[in-house]
Amino acid sequence: MHKDCAKTYFKKPEFYRLTGENNYVRIDAEDKVTGHGQYVGDIMFPDMLTGRMVRAPFAPARILSIDTSEAEKLPGVKCILTPKDFEWKHKVGNGEFAAEFADKEVLCTEIVRQVGDDICAVAAIDEETAQRAVDLIKVEYEKLPGVYDPFEAMEEGAPEVNWEGKGLHNIGMQSHMCAGTDIDEEFNNASYIQHRDYSTHRMVHAAMEPHGAVATYRNGTYNIWMSTQMAYVDQFWYAKCLGVPENHVRVIKPLVGGGFGGKLDSYSFGLCAAKMAELTQRPVRMILTREEVFQTTRNRHPIYMHIDTAFAENGKMLAKKCYHVLDGGPYGGSGVAACAQATLWANFPYKLNSVDFLARRVYTNNPAAGAMRGYTACQVHFAHDLNMQYAADQMGIDPVEFRKISAADPGYVAPAGLHITSCAYKETLDTAAKEIGWYERKDKMKDGEGIGFAGTGFVSGTGFAVLEAPNQSSACVQVRLNKRGMCTLYIGSHDIGQGSDTVMTAIVAEELGLPMDMVKTFMSDTFLTPWDSGSYGSRVTFLAGNAARRAAVDAKRQLFETIAPIWGVMPETLECLEGKVISKEKAELQMPIGDAMFKYMTIHGGDELVGVGSYYHRTDNSQYNGENTTNYAPAYSFSTGAAHLTVDKETGVLDIDEFVFAHDCGRALNRRAVEGQLEGSIGMGLGYAVYEHNITKEGKILNPNFRDYRFPTALDMPKMRTFYDFTPDEEGPLGAKEAGEGSAAPVAPAIANAVNMATGVYFTSLPLDPEHIWRAMNGMEDDRHSK
Amino acid sequence: MHKSMINLTINGDEVDAVVKDNLTLLDFLRDQLGLTGTKKGCEEGECGACTVLLDGLPVNSCCTLAVECNGREVTTIEGLARNGQLTPLQRQFIDKWALQCGYCTPGMIMSATALLNTNHHPTELEIREAIEGNLCRCTGYAKIVEAIQAAAAEMNWEEA
Repeated sequence: MHKDCAKTYFKKPEFYRLTGENNYVRIDAEDKVTGHGQYVGDIMFPDMLTGRMVRAPFAPARILSIDTSEAEKLPGVKCILTPKDFEWKHKVGNGEFAAEFADKEVLCTEIVRQVGDDICAVAAIDEETAQRAVDLIKVEYEKLPGVYDPFEAMEEGAPEVNWEGKGLHNIGMQSHMCAGTDIDEEFNNASYIQHRDYSTHRMVHAAMEPHGAVATYRNGTYNIWMSTQMAYVDQFWYAKCLGVPENHVRVIKPLVGGGFGGKLDSYSFGLCAAKMAELTQRPVRMILTREEVFQTTRNRHPIYMHIDTAFAENGKMLAKKCYHVLDGGPYGGSGVAACAQATLWANFPYKLNSVDFLARRVYTNNPAAGAMRGYTACQVHFAHDLNMQYAADQMGIDPVEFRKISAADPGYVAPAGLHITSCAYKETLDTAAKEIGWYERKDKMKDGEGIGFAGTGFVSGTGFAVLEAPNQSSACVQVRLNKRGMCTLYIGSHDIGQGSDTVMTAIVAEELGLPMDMVKTFMSDTFLTPWDSGSYGSRVTFLAGNAARRAAVDAKRQLFETIAPIWGVMPETLECLEGKVISKEKAELQMPIGDAMFKYMTIHGGDELVGVGSYYHRTDNSQYNGENTTNYAPAYSFSTGAAHLTVDKETGVLDIDEFVFAHDCGRALNRRAVEGQLEGSIGMGLGYAVYEHNITKEGKILNPNFRDYRFPTALDMPKMRTFYDFTPDEEGPLGAKEAGEGSAAPVAPAIANAVNMATGVYFTSLPLDPEHIWRAMNGMEDDRHSK
Repeated sequence: MHKSMINLTINGDEVDAVVKDNLTLLDFLRDQLGLTGTKKGCEEGECGACTVLLDGLPVNSCCTLAVECNGREVTTIEGLARNGQLTPLQRQFIDKWALQCGYCTPGMIMSATALLNTNHHPTELEIREAIEGNLCRCTGYAKIVEAIQAAAAEMNWEEA
């Protein structure tokens, strides 16, 4: 069944027995608490080799020579790859529609563009030998002039970072969103106008599991176990870069120890592991060190944001212009979408008559940026919410009321083509204000005390499928029922820790009226499971969840059409409930699902029952190659974060007393799962706001470890309370919307707004570490953010 | 590299092995014994994913040499469940959804086990201090603390 199917057999809420409460546990939990769960680094083969990459120590540079002779002589070295092994093949990119713009070589043939760029790869009998071989490979470089500031990179005569000779001025991607009424007239008629500048810093995902791959080559097929968020996209790029058809590349996702966007790109190390497995005919394991993860994978774009906003006398926001400049580093990949999204978020969560948003993603020689939890929503909402707070203060309107004046409503259609369905943004504002005690506290604030709010919106089920797909589908799911009524579920969606395998299992179990342990789930294997475009854009619960629901309903329909004639009733009057097929009209008509399946298979000559479901959200991809006025997603989530804190004015140290989080995720499919996402978002948002900052010098990260790059520990976390019981979304699977990504966005701006109130200083950049706060309070300039 | 013969107890079993002197306990457990439940997150003692118990005390196995463990007792995550029965702490981690990606979970459980072995009535602050060296990027720690509190309460109830 596909998206537009008749919903006759969809289960009605009064028959839900499983979802919505805490009636089930994660299907992978026992494996994870016993240490039996297998992540990519835990996969062992008896004759397995260890792989290591040779990486550029500085950038940019021209490679003059590569000498592998000494390394080749080292006993135990089994394979060395040089750029020649890949040079005639394809570069790595992201979206299939723009495959010709792929801009990352597997191994650099001539030009090194970032520190840590991939030069060679080695496979040896153990890690020590592999590392010694890496050290013995001599690469001669000629240093080239680099550019590390996106504004300088756009200047005439700046060094070209990528696509040399194309006259791009290093603008790798540009998105313009312009829609609505005459914007000049809106500004002319406004009673209050403000012009503000903001900037954000570089942060990393810091998933606890480092990136890695294990590869074998057997029967002409590359088998690659990958710590990935998009196995099918990896399969596409790996096939292109290995120069073989996709049916020779099997990518399998084992357990993944966190992704947050950092495992979206197809990296060279996995390709090299595959190639070396082919050449040695032995399995090759390649796990990155923590330093490599910091320096050579991806990070959150630093963004410089200029915002012009026009307001009516009553505080209603009329129109907004903004200019966002993203420091992309030298490569596109998952970062390409970040540019378009940086215009999208500027709409949310408000109503506007007119928008004119321009975003440029600029090539620099800094470490390449990409997707990270929120896909620029964290940066853009930081700036745009602080912009709202500033306006509220300037206009003398209560900040909660001020946000409500322009807040989006259910059914709102934005000028930029965005169709809001369910929307409880105002309710999240009210909830957060009440729970943080805003109205009782606001007139009694002590010196150094502050309460800050931030309101944000996010996509739920982004439509962009990355690869070309029939009917723009981005998820397909299959279920199979056997003679005992046991269900086998095949999903391509990628659980990277958030629990989506459990959610898919629960959705199918709910529709089929089965206990969780009667549904056996197989996931994320490009030869076994159906197509799914991956874990990004908060698409999994909404798109894959809807596909899973349709697959289960498709199976249910076929079962009912077989059983109903036996009972002499109409199939639509049947339902699956508590392990039985029942008649909703005649209580005496009921049969265990196992018996019903036995009957089904008897009547159908022994055929097991297969149900198929798919789901899509159609966009016109104009966000990447045109007008940028498309409806990005089938639904949108909304959040309000509220922080209560005090600032020690002598030291600049923050003490966050409490963080209240209200998130409109439709209907929660499991309460503890949603709470876990929101609490985790607070943790990561707190890190972004206060602790985490990648310091770079000429493109080299100076703090590539957890000692110098500190993220919150159990002792750093504030008291947290989460609220999420708002309106179910009509189109969401069993009423759900996203709960794990957009939720990261309001944390930093809420903390920043609270710090603003506590100190009287309007901060415009992050992170708000004690030194930064102290300097600002003492009238010193923030010297960390060059422009 | 010089090699040494070591004899130690791992999860109750006596193990004899020849190890290079620079081999970490973490690599010994994972690569030589196949005990991959102990995770490798940073290899420099910062993340706690590799936490095991050495004579009952939590240590970062990435910063401990295998030769140092000669004659000593090591407990890993694989050694907690007995006769197919999970410990109360393991069960509470499941029931309270105290894990997401699960990569920090083994180390987290080992640190919390060490705490509960010596402190049957930990305060919330004592729990947070005990797991301070175990980084979790997914959960914000709230459900982890809750699971440890619930396990402590359960063990106290069993004592009574």
